[in-house]
Amino acid sequence: MAEAVTDTSTIASWEGDDVTVTQIEAALTELRRNEQRAAVRTSVLTLVAVVSDRGQADAALDVVYHLGARHPSRTIVVVVDDDADASSGIDANASVHVVERQGTAICYENVVLRVSGPARHHLDSVVEPFTLPDLPVVLWMPSRLPATGDPLLAAADRLVVDSRAVPEGGDVLTRIVALSRRLYVTDLSWIRLAPWRTLLAGLFEGGLNRPFLSGVYEVQVAGNRGPRHLLGGWLMQSLNLHRDAVSLTPAEHVSIRLSAAIDGRRGEFVVERAGAERIIESCIDIDGGPCVRQTLRMRRQWPALSLAGALTRVGDDVTYRRALAGALELAGERPPSSVTAPAVS
Amino acid sequence: MSVENPLHEPTLERVAPPAVLVVFGASGDLTSRKLMPAIERLALRHLLPGGFSVVGVGRTPMGDDEFRERMRTLVSEGGGGGDEATHVWDSLAGGFRYVAGGYADADTYTRLRQVLAELDRERGTSGNRLYYLATPPAVFSDIVAALGESGLNRPDTDDGFVRIVIEKPYGHDEASAAALDATMHASFDESQVYRIDHYLGKETVQNVLALRFANAIFEPVWNRRYVDHVQITVTESLGVGHRGGFYETAGALRDIVQNHVMQVLALTLMEPPAAFDAHGIRDEKVKALRAVDVFGPEQVATEVVRAQYRRGWVQGEEVPGYREEEGVDPHSVTETYVAMRLHVDNWRWAGVPVYVRTGKRLPKRVTEVAMQFKEVPHLPFAASQTEGLGPDLLVLRIQPDEGITLRFGAKVPGQAFQVRSVSMDFFYGAAFLEETPEAYERLLLDALVGDPTLFIRADEVEQAWRICDPVLSAWEEGDAPLARYEAGTWGPAEADRLLEDDGRKWRKP
Repeated sequence: MAEAVTDTSTIASWEGDDVTVTQIEAALTELRRNEQRAAVRTSVLTLVAVVSDRGQADAALDVVYHLGARHPSRTIVVVVDDDADASSGIDANASVHVVERQGTAICYENVVLRVSGPARHHLDSVVEPFTLPDLPVVLWMPSRLPATGDPLLAAADRLVVDSRAVPEGGDVLTRIVALSRRLYVTDLSWIRLAPWRTLLAGLFEGGLNRPFLSGVYEVQVAGNRGPRHLLGGWLMQSLNLHRDAVSLTPAEHVSIRLSAAIDGRRGEFVVERAGAERIIESCIDIDGGPCVRQTLRMRRQWPALSLAGALTRVGDDVTYRRALAGALELAGERPPSSVTAPAVS
Repeated sequence: MSVENPLHEPTLERVAPPAVLVVFGASGDLTSRKLMPAIERLALRHLLPGGFSVVGVGRTPMGDDEFRERMRTLVSEGGGGGDEATHVWDSLAGGFRYVAGGYADADTYTRLRQVLAELDRERGTSGNRLYYLATPPAVFSDIVAALGESGLNRPDTDDGFVRIVIEKPYGHDEASAAALDATMHASFDESQVYRIDHYLGKETVQNVLALRFANAIFEPVWNRRYVDHVQITVTESLGVGHRGGFYETAGALRDIVQNHVMQVLALTLMEPPAAFDAHGIRDEKVKALRAVDVFGPEQVATEVVRAQYRRGWVQGEEVPGYREEEGVDPHSVTETYVAMRLHVDNWRWAGVPVYVRTGKRLPKRVTEVAMQFKEVPHLPFAASQTEGLGPDLLVLRIQPDEGITLRFGAKVPGQAFQVRSVSMDFFYGAAFLEETPEAYERLLLDALVGDPTLFIRADEVEQAWRICDPVLSAWEEGDAPLARYEAGTWGPAEADRLLEDDGRKWRKP
């Protein structure tokens, strides 16, 4: 995906220091009015990214750039200036971009807001005027988790976080569970595991292999902290396994092994990444049957690809919530209370 | 499959079960142009399981390795391949086999059985088979009968599957389609038969269903009370190319109307299904087709226009007339254009004419459905204020610029009060610039996982022939004249008159 977007260009931009929200809105309208290609806009959401410095803002915009027009949206990047002594103010940069492909052009807008002083505690009031009417607002926190009382959560329909990118705090999963009570949460770490889950589920397609799912007695998952817990939790919950049947091992690359027995036959189902190359080996080895191996090349996990996957989800990801509950159990973390879906108005 | 896979999530793509794809007509054009690229793309998306195998069956003598290399080369030449695909073809290396032999020859099936048993043993394909008939239709019956006689038509175990995919044309008239069905059903249950029309694999054809049944704003006006008439257009700028010999035996009615047009018509006019599944969708499509009036011989003369292209200019190039094309009889009366005025006798559509047209060598390639709405009961403006106002229109563009156009009246800015029509275009590709699966990729995976929703059921084929057969019969009796049109135009004047008689005219897509 990242390589594919080479046809995006900036067609107009504006910037101003210490400006008001009204001025920024007027500038955005003017940018679109003066550029014919920006007159028609197709949007499916408003994406709000909250970062803490200019470098992170550039990184977020780079991801949005590579996202191209897959989920055409207005993107608002909020750079929060943590200087407690600074006075309230907003510096802004607004730009209109066009993606052209096969004769079709669509436009999207980026707004970067640098917010300082007391206003940084009221980001909802800064962001809401820029959200597109009637479309979902997705709040994206690339490298941190918001507090459950963060007022920005009230302005969002969905929260996208990356549990792997949050500084190790030990209770990341617990905090995500707490957040998921307020609104739908998508974890980019979980999205990146989708190819693994698809591959593993695929090993049990077909009448010969599927019965072994009811006879799984041991699951071994290796990988980094977080992903291995989520995978282990997912398998534990999906297959109704006891916690002791799942063992987790720290490793640089993911590997998953399921041992099963049914009607006196044993079967091993393995998916593993052997090294730095994106080569995945899968293997089905059933007593008395052929040993079926497959070698695949995993698609590169571009950040934009993961974000695109996250933005595809619009409702409650029940599987993730169950995996999260399982992961907490495997990590020995206590859930704040039972994991339930957020109340949706 | 009785037991669900708890690891499968609805939001994730489904992986095919272990199986052998047996392609009859493996050395043919369809296999290299459509099926093999679809297999490569499915493998690249990790949707084919380890052990997935392909057995080619064809008359051309060839070894296993030669077959695989030939397919790999042809896919690469067709725009596939690349670094990522190397792993795919390496992974499939042990799973490509080729059986050379005649399609009616029992020995071919004996050897096929041996190869399939080997693959089951070596690659764990569990007796699952998907037969794909990519051959000329003349040998469909031979293959189907031989598969039955050799016992390759049934799975060996209760939880295995044997399915058969068959390409159009499904018969050349109602009787031959019924005969083919009889042959098919002597060896296969209807639930095993997957009749493919690649139109149904197109994202935008499926989007017709989404548009109709996921939006409350369209359904209330989708009926005789608001719709004045419907136009279904399926046109091509190309001629018959090297398919002249085939086209002489088919013609536009068999090649396009009986299948693609009837499918698009059914999806456009059908009632909302209770569930979006194979039974729900196909039951409603059949009901819609059944409601289409069948012509008597005298109606064919007034409701149907057939025509053939003459020499002309298309997109800046001078092109030969149909009768000058390679493989075409210089005195041919085969139609390259058909226009029809259909009537649908049901509660929703009674009195709403459905105009259908298809043709080759027209100005451009277009597939679309246009719903033209009735005029308002009273227009409170002076005639001079509404000179630029046309009827409201909803156009579902299926190809090439997939999307929706809504035409409605708006005031022209200024002191004067002038109303004119404006078009609001929604480009499907602009809202979702995602890479969508090719039609064959989608349908091949559906057949492997056993989802027949987008395949055509026997009674759909029967109903489509029921509509087309009387037209073919009338033409064969020589009753209807064959009009001529210049290549690069929108068809003959006779087709224009079909609408002009009703006070209407064809859209210019």
